[in-house]
Amino acid sequence: MQTYLSFDDLTNEEKYEHFMERIAAGEKIEADDWMPDDYRQSLIRLISMHGISEIMGALPEKEWVPKAPSLHRKLAIMAKVQDEMGHGQLLLRVAEDLMAPLGKTREHIMQDLFSGKLKFHNVFHMEAPTWGDAGMIAWLVDGAAIISQSMMLDSSYGPYARALKRICAEEVFHAQHGESIVLALAEGTAEQRALLQDSLNRWWTSLIMFFGPKSAKETGNSNADKNIMYKIRTKTNEELRQEFFTKYIPRIWAIGLTIPDETIHFDESTQLWVYKDADWNEFKQIVSGHGPRSQERLALRQSSYDMNGWVREALAAKKAI
Amino acid sequence: MSEQEQSFYNVYEVFSKKTDKSPFQHQFSLLAPNADMALVMAKENFFRREPVADLWVVKRDNIRKLSQGEREMLSKLSKEYRETKGYGYLKKKWREYNQEQFTEQHILGGREESK
Amino acid sequence: MKALKELIYQLADDDFILAYRGSEWLGLAPHIEEDVAFSSINQDMMGHATMYFQLLEALGEQEADQNAHLRAPEAFRNAVLLEEVNGTGSYLHQPNYDWAFTVVRNYFYSVHKKIRLDSLRLSSYEPLRNVAKKILMEQQYHLMHWEVWFRQLLTSTDEAKRRMTEAMVKVWASFGGVLTLGPYYGEMVKANFIDDENVLKTRWMSAIKKVLNETNTNMLPGEPGMTSGNGRKGEHTTDLQQAIATLAEVYVTNPAVSW
Ligand SMILES: [Fe+2]
Ligand SMILES: [Fe+2]
Repeated sequence: MQTYLSFDDLTNEEKYEHFMERIAAGEKIEADDWMPDDYRQSLIRLISMHGISEIMGALPEKEWVPKAPSLHRKLAIMAKVQDEMGHGQLLLRVAEDLMAPLGKTREHIMQDLFSGKLKFHNVFHMEAPTWGDAGMIAWLVDGAAIISQSMMLDSSYGPYARALKRICAEEVFHAQHGESIVLALAEGTAEQRALLQDSLNRWWTSLIMFFGPKSAKETGNSNADKNIMYKIRTKTNEELRQEFFTKYIPRIWAIGLTIPDETIHFDESTQLWVYKDADWNEFKQIVSGHGPRSQERLALRQSSYDMNGWVREALAAKKAI
Repeated sequence: MSEQEQSFYNVYEVFSKKTDKSPFQHQFSLLAPNADMALVMAKENFFRREPVADLWVVKRDNIRKLSQGEREMLSKLSKEYRETKGYGYLKKKWREYNQEQFTEQHILGGREESK
Repeated sequence: MKALKELIYQLADDDFILAYRGSEWLGLAPHIEEDVAFSSINQDMMGHATMYFQLLEALGEQEADQNAHLRAPEAFRNAVLLEEVNGTGSYLHQPNYDWAFTVVRNYFYSVHKKIRLDSLRLSSYEPLRNVAKKILMEQQYHLMHWEVWFRQLLTSTDEAKRRMTEAMVKVWASFGGVLTLGPYYGEMVKANFIDDENVLKTRWMSAIKKVLNETNTNMLPGEPGMTSGNGRKGEHTTDLQQAIATLAEVYVTNPAVSW
């Protein structure tokens, strides 16, 4: 195809300018488009972490799949965990396409996970020792995830926005599945209510951590800010956390649960929730593979990957030319 | 990583029709070694809840896509002479001949609307 | 009546226990896309089991959830092959699961399930007929899914062929337990609830022979066996005990409340 003053003739500065103009105009960037390295790297970091967190996130709930206490719960939790694997599939595909020009594939993502180079969400490093946790995860962990995912529905990167659209559509089912388990326990026997309260106690700090630390200077991590500049995301960690509080704290209280933070309250003057902040050094420890279940979950993921190596090799032999 | 494992991964693009009447639409992509495998995966990866009437998988390498430069050439000046825009005066003209201007339906031969 | 209930228990427990084994694979399948696809099949099968449990409930048996969670192993009527563990280790810790065994077991079972449903579609018991028709729609996809896996692995690397052959020998040794209709078989057939087990078996054998032929694989020798007992008579292995203990772990803490 003969092109005259085509995009390809532009200088790198002009391309960058053109790129920023497109983003400002709300256009969507596609996988094969020219993009600054910085943008590509930010996306790879964000989306591979998001994708692998979905895959690792299947594991704590998976523990309860065979044990779910009725036929309906068995079916629903299977479908829910399956969706999480499906979210992983969508997001890893998006990440893989971004990495392809760098010569990287899904295999590299898995190896980076096993070597500890690729991190996953703090919540999925934690224990889920009771059925109460199956409810708590679907209600509040998914609840937190919905808030941060729906913020990015209009992300400047088209493939990510499209994946998130599919994901968010399923999160509605996840939320209701979680609410249903939680309400059944809340309205149940004293033992069932205790199961639920214990679970909330266990998960609260992790939920505070879920959105990440307040500002860049606390961790020296400026990825969130860069993502805002590139319109990959639109809100800060703290804004998301406040949204989560506003959405869920009244409900937590309404069903008679106690939040394990005596200081938590809504400050009318600032219109913000005041709460006990998490220990961000502990957070760093957890996400770097030193959480209570980090190593077990990684070992489970790796052993399943290794035991099936022969299957992938066999299929490689069946590869279409 | 062994070379074989790396070569396992082909990207397949998945297209589907929601109903018999609807056109095919791109849905997403997946990794599979070959088309048969891609097809059995596609159904449950992308249509667990939505209805699906038909399904295609296409190996991505077999799609000739536009580059960004080519894509940006697609935007063009408006070409009103290709459209019905400039023909509003016809209505008045036909009135002068005591005729009603044909609506789209008339022009298309009064076939039943199949929207 | 007894024969009808026995038949439906077989149908329910076959799907229920195999779906349970499948659910242990969730998150551990050979690759992500397959994980998702396989889970749908397990959900479908557990859904089929639920429909059968509801038929039993309508016939005066206990409520579906109780029936699924509170029965003693001897009361289960599934074939022993379907309760067998996926491999060593557990779904939580160091699973050493065998994908070849999973493919062969599910494929052989799917072929049989389709044949059995085609017979149940014409059953003299109308509610069973209706359920069979519904299940058949989904069963087509299961069969296609497992057939693709079965054929591809069987015609691929030497290692895959070796593993598949070993798995076939293992499955063959107890597939007889799937094929039998158990002690009440005469009454089931007389009442036209289902076709004669020998007719179903012949159909199954020729379907398997055909696919093995097409993949240049030798037909398995002799008749499918029943080496670990006849599940239709309530004979089971410790694998079933372990499965029930896990699947009922939460439920038994208080079967009277809602969860
Ligand atoms: Fe998710
Ligand atoms: Fe979710």
